[in-house]
Amino acid sequence: MNCVELEQSLAEVDDGSSAEQRAHLRACPACSALVKELNSIIEAAANLQAADEPSPRVWNSIEIALRKEGLIRPQRPPISSFGARWGAVRWLVPAAAMLLLSLGLYLHQQQTPNQFAVHEVTAPAAVVKTPDLNDDELMQVVAENAPAMKIQYAENLRQVNQSIRDAQGLVQESPNDEDARSLLMVAYEQKAMLFQLAMDRSLQ
Amino acid sequence: MLSSRAAKFLAVGVVVAGTLVAETKKEFHFTVGPRAGVSVMNPYGSISVKPSTNRAVVVNAILHSDKVEVDNNQSGNRVDIQSHLLPGADADSGRVDYEILVPPDANVTLHCSTGSLRAERLHGDVNLEGADATVDVRDVSNAHVHVKTMNGNVNLDNIQNGHVEVDSLSGDVTMKSVNGPLVQVVSTSGKIFYIGDFGNSGEYRLTSHSGDIEATIPEWTAADVSARSVKGEVHDDIPLLPKNHVWFPVDKGRAFAGTMGRMAVSSTVVLRSFSGKIHLRKRSEKQ
Repeated sequence: MNCVELEQSLAEVDDGSSAEQRAHLRACPACSALVKELNSIIEAAANLQAADEPSPRVWNSIEIALRKEGLIRPQRPPISSFGARWGAVRWLVPAAAMLLLSLGLYLHQQQTPNQFAVHEVTAPAAVVKTPDLNDDELMQVVAENAPAMKIQYAENLRQVNQSIRDAQGLVQESPNDEDARSLLMVAYEQKAMLFQLAMDRSLQ
Repeated sequence: MLSSRAAKFLAVGVVVAGTLVAETKKEFHFTVGPRAGVSVMNPYGSISVKPSTNRAVVVNAILHSDKVEVDNNQSGNRVDIQSHLLPGADADSGRVDYEILVPPDANVTLHCSTGSLRAERLHGDVNLEGADATVDVRDVSNAHVHVKTMNGNVNLDNIQNGHVEVDSLSGDVTMKSVNGPLVQVVSTSGKIFYIGDFGNSGEYRLTSHSGDIEATIPEWTAADVSARSVKGEVHDDIPLLPKNHVWFPVDKGRAFAGTMGRMAVSSTVVLRSFSGKIHLRKRSEKQ
């Protein structure tokens, strides 16, 4: 059983204490925490006063919405069930799952700009198609095909590697600085050009 | 018996004759249509391309030894010339010097490791690549110019109305009267010099890592200019109308941004360096 299957089994009012569920909960801290959260919600909900309970119309509206989203399926013939144990507050389960999902999405979106910036920083390395060579292999190619220019290639390689390191440092300091990302992209492109010049020479 | 003077003359003559014998001159002729493609790959030696007066491609090659031969091929509207190094060839014995005439609208691609690359008075696209070759392109209009070089210095003179893209690792790049919709120069440690007026309502992007960038322009140039050096100094000799909204911090001495010229703004100029010095200079009347 995986995490998705576990969540589905909870919504289908399967017993949370089935062997499969227990085995998964033992191995999966995330699902274990989810079930724990749901239980705490149930306990809190059980303490609601009658006066605090929303009218049946509210519950009906929630039920309709959840059915539309496929989160509620027709009840199966009783199996000693999660729903039976949870009683009237079982509607809170999918609602709570939705709330947790929404919270997770919200948190993910909050983190997204920096991650995007970081991802964008790494993008130049992916976008720039350098030949499948590392620096040592480049120098080997140069030594074989243009030995007279080995020193010049080595010096240019040193300079371009330094420019990449400098630009990477700048991007780490200021990940949202467009100029920093541009300088890093340019440095990678210059290195790619160096490889290309060496490879062209080897093809000659 | 020969006098010593006569003997010396004879010795010199033998040496010169020997050199001439070692060098071989070859000539190839091709007829092409409009916008022909001409490609020359020459590891060692120079390549010079000039316009012809008809639809002929004329290749004059001087081979410096018998360790190199010239392969030539025409396929439709495309001519390919390649210096083929034979076993034992080196930078001296493998050297070939080319002088090539092409129709002015031909698209020219030149590859050279060491030597020089030169193209002039063309209006077809010009692509030049050379690890250690000096590059000289002049009087090219309505065409794209692309240059890639590792060490070689690049000189562009009177390039109008095309895209200009120069990538140089450590060679200096000098541009005089280079205008077009896009002029982009990137260098790691080579210096970039621009002398012109940033005309044509173009986009001019000069970027270096550690090389200095110097732009010398008349005071009446109309452009949006922004310059920024992360670790280097930035100087501006021409008064700018500061921009209200700039996305990067305009630290005095490290960056400036503004509009210059009294005419309606036309070109965009972006000068960027990591540690190089950037200087926007005012052109004197003599320049």
